[in-house]
Amino acid sequence: MWRAKSTKESISAGFLLAVLLLLSGSAAECYPEYQAFIEKRSGKTVDCAVCHVNANGPVGRESGQIGSLSQKQLAQLNAARAAIEPEMLKEDNPILNRLGNSIIRTIGKKKFLEHRQDPEKLAELLGNKSDLDNDGIPDSQEYLDGTDALNSSHGEPFKLFLVNLNRYKYHLALAALAVFILDWGFAHLIQGFYLQSKMGKAGNHE
Amino acid sequence: MIDSVLFIALPYLAIFICIFGSIYRIRKMPMTYSALSSQFLESKSLVWGSVPWHIGIITIVLAHLFALICPGLWQMLMAYKNVLLITEALGLAMGICCLVGLIVLGIRRISSQRIQAVTSRMDLLVLFLLTAQVIFGIGTAVLHRWGAAWATGTAVPYIWSLFTLQPDLSYISDLPHMVKAHIVSAWLLILLVPFSRLIHMFAVPLHYLTRPPQNVLWNNPRHYEAEAAAEEILDTDARREFIKGGVGIAAGTLLLGAGAMDKIFAFFFGPRLTAKEETELMEEKLCRLQATTDQRKLELERQSSKYILVSAMSELSPTEGKYLIDYQMTPAMAFKGEDGLPIVLSAKCTHLGCTVGNTVNKEGKILCPCHVSYFDIKTGEPNADAPAKAPLPILGWALIDKAGKLIASRSSKGEISGDTSSESIKDCDLFIVKTDEVKV
Amino acid sequence: MKAGQSVFATVSNFLSERFPVEHMNFQHMVEKKDVPVHNMSWGYYTGGLTLFFLMVQVVTGLFLLFYYQPTVSDAHLSVEFINKHVAGGALIRNMHTWSASCMIFFAMLHLLTSFAMKAFEKPRELTWIFGVLLLFLTFTFGFTGYLLPWNQIAVNATKVGLQSVEAVGEYLPGALSQLPHILRETFQGEASVGQSTLGRFYALHVVLLPLALLGLISLHLLSVQLHGMSRGVDQPTKKSERFFPFFIFKDLSLWSIVFLLLLILAWCIPFDSFLPYPLLAPYNALGSTPAGIKPEWYFYFLYYPLEMLPFWLILLATGLAVLVLIFTPWIFKGTSRKTLGLITVLASLYLVVMTVFGEQIYHMVKP
Repeated sequence: MWRAKSTKESISAGFLLAVLLLLSGSAAECYPEYQAFIEKRSGKTVDCAVCHVNANGPVGRESGQIGSLSQKQLAQLNAARAAIEPEMLKEDNPILNRLGNSIIRTIGKKKFLEHRQDPEKLAELLGNKSDLDNDGIPDSQEYLDGTDALNSSHGEPFKLFLVNLNRYKYHLALAALAVFILDWGFAHLIQGFYLQSKMGKAGNHE
Repeated sequence: MIDSVLFIALPYLAIFICIFGSIYRIRKMPMTYSALSSQFLESKSLVWGSVPWHIGIITIVLAHLFALICPGLWQMLMAYKNVLLITEALGLAMGICCLVGLIVLGIRRISSQRIQAVTSRMDLLVLFLLTAQVIFGIGTAVLHRWGAAWATGTAVPYIWSLFTLQPDLSYISDLPHMVKAHIVSAWLLILLVPFSRLIHMFAVPLHYLTRPPQNVLWNNPRHYEAEAAAEEILDTDARREFIKGGVGIAAGTLLLGAGAMDKIFAFFFGPRLTAKEETELMEEKLCRLQATTDQRKLELERQSSKYILVSAMSELSPTEGKYLIDYQMTPAMAFKGEDGLPIVLSAKCTHLGCTVGNTVNKEGKILCPCHVSYFDIKTGEPNADAPAKAPLPILGWALIDKAGKLIASRSSKGEISGDTSSESIKDCDLFIVKTDEVKV
Repeated sequence: MKAGQSVFATVSNFLSERFPVEHMNFQHMVEKKDVPVHNMSWGYYTGGLTLFFLMVQVVTGLFLLFYYQPTVSDAHLSVEFINKHVAGGALIRNMHTWSASCMIFFAMLHLLTSFAMKAFEKPRELTWIFGVLLLFLTFTFGFTGYLLPWNQIAVNATKVGLQSVEAVGEYLPGALSQLPHILRETFQGEASVGQSTLGRFYALHVVLLPLALLGLISLHLLSVQLHGMSRGVDQPTKKSERFFPFFIFKDLSLWSIVFLLLLILAWCIPFDSFLPYPLLAPYNALGSTPAGIKPEWYFYFLYYPLEMLPFWLILLATGLAVLVLIFTPWIFKGTSRKTLGLITVLASLYLVVMTVFGEQIYHMVKP
């Protein structure tokens, strides 16, 4: 229960932040609807690092936040913000991570903004082609699962299991073969020692 | 011309003679196709010669046959650098094994009187040819490396061209002399099979592996004692088990080694990063070091100064706390209270020490996410059914204006002193204080 | 003088019965050892499996030592480095984490089956006590190892764990009440969990605890081999099999299968996947604690009750449980195996329910 509460709070916090930013005249870059959707659908907590460089969102002075950008990066940020359609985007947005930039490049900022009230659609729009961390689970699926799309050793455990099992099946088969041969060898070695020890006793009898 | 004789005429002759000669000999003189063992004449050095020779030659012949029969599969395997490396190394090792065995066997043939008596000229010829063949093989492996890979494009199609009766010399005409010599002496050896003890290769005792253990007894009364007999069974059985055990462990280790050795080596060798990866790693490292440095600076500051800056009064918010580190190096946070005065309270949950969240809810409370305690920011008190029982301590503070003059302060016990009118504190900076002695 | 002598004699008698020197030879400890065959025989394999996972831990742990750096600025990054860049690093690390969980699981299973089979009967009292101590040691391994990756969940869970130690102080009388605090400070090394804590936990995890484990496990195994397998059931069947070579065969084969399963798990499911990823971020001393901090699954049986019930009750129950575990050979001396089995089933039921459904129960009790 309390998880839901904290989510609600983070939404309200995000909302407040958005309002504050709107009031201060700059365009808001934090879209908490998506975060809320992921948390509700996957039951896992996520933070702004789904799409942003900094886990605490775009506003602030830490690395990856607007306050830390150089002049050149600020220009880059403004250019990226102005690019409504995907083909208008030239350089990556410096406050977004690879997934964030990939989303904007694929569907464009306009569509992204349009789907704020229907976050589930985003997965469909992204399609199954892109897999940035190359872990075998497409980005769109990782988005729905609330797992890290940029870390190959993070994903829905069962899905990762199937993917990796398929990937490593030959390795595993060979390892199994080697282990069973070893086991067979050791078994016979022990049997040999056993017979030898019996032999020693038979000799003692004489 | 000479090439045609050596690589077309000789092979066909050799294969023809080998097949029909062997069939004739096995049919007509069945008792003679054996290894003509001389073990009962001399057994000590035989072990040191025969065993390495046979282990080596069987492995190598099987590998040659495998490459010959399934060149596609072989080539696919050799495309992996590790497999190729292991195959070459193994081949060379086995070759040396063969050579050592042959040398021991040769010395034995020459030095032992009893063996000399049963040695024919053919035996010596075979021994000489085998030695030459092995030396050519080792020479090829050493001087013209990666034979396991290039043979599928040269020797293998050449032999297939012979089998399909369309002999094609172009595959091997450009090969080095060492390799050619290896091929020629191979044909010679095949030619000699029906005339020598080499024919015993058609009598490999494979059934040894599967047959039940036999009890071999001397037909002599002094050996009839039961216990001795039992001992002999045990002895052969134990030996059989040891051999199986040895083979199993060796094969398993080899297979496991082939798969894991390079990775284990690479593990200890360490990764070799690309320039980009290296840069990223360095940046990240620097970033983390910076964070540690900041932390240490904070510690030092708390060690040495009486006041520590939190922020300007104007930056405080009533709903979102500003995190700071208090004098105990634990987290705390600062709000702007309803009365316009700052509220500074510890953010270390009094339950189990988690850091309390900084967002104030509608009831004016902040949440510790670990075990769900809500704390009132004005009093620090937890809600009644919270796991935390003690309130969050409220800390003392001081407000200092831009000129460095102390305007107002609060002790940790809650006494507020100085000028607290909103006008005068508006431009002040908020500090936390080390002791309560700081008073206006 | 006489009393002292007789005490000495009692002790030396007790010890010589438990460690009969005349039996310390290959013949007695290996060749003549028999393993009874009955429907609880599978219980005899649990100890061996625990030992197997311990061996995996030692080997993979040694591998990890080559790259891990126990400082607050480098620890998290070095673990990430192992995962991302080192050849086979991710596999080794996953094997270490998976095998740690397996080891704890089988150690607990071993304790439960040994209890049910009344394996603590005379002359195996000391074997049992060494075993209980080994289990505690294994939990300590889990607790100290958990901090080393220095991510959010590691540090915060350690904070919670250490603070629970301090909370015990309230219930102790007089000067003793300061003891838990002093203990915590000793382990923590500074005011809050930081570099000193990491250094201490590292030293414990890779040097001190392994040494202690080595000593205890030698004694445990020595006494197991000296006294042989306990008969395990009230009406022993006449059947038994030779420990050497038949039982060892089976043990080895089981180990191979288990090794392969471990390999599949470690290769295919990164252990980190079970946690939400904000918890895997490097620990941030200045930020707030992220939601969802919990200990590893093997502490759930202690953690969820701690969340739901008053602290003093848990403290009392835990203290009692520890005492009962240690003095089991004397407390349950006359108890029949049937009763012991019943107790074991109840205890297992509790452990399984708390581990699997702990979170749901917690949400039901505290909505």
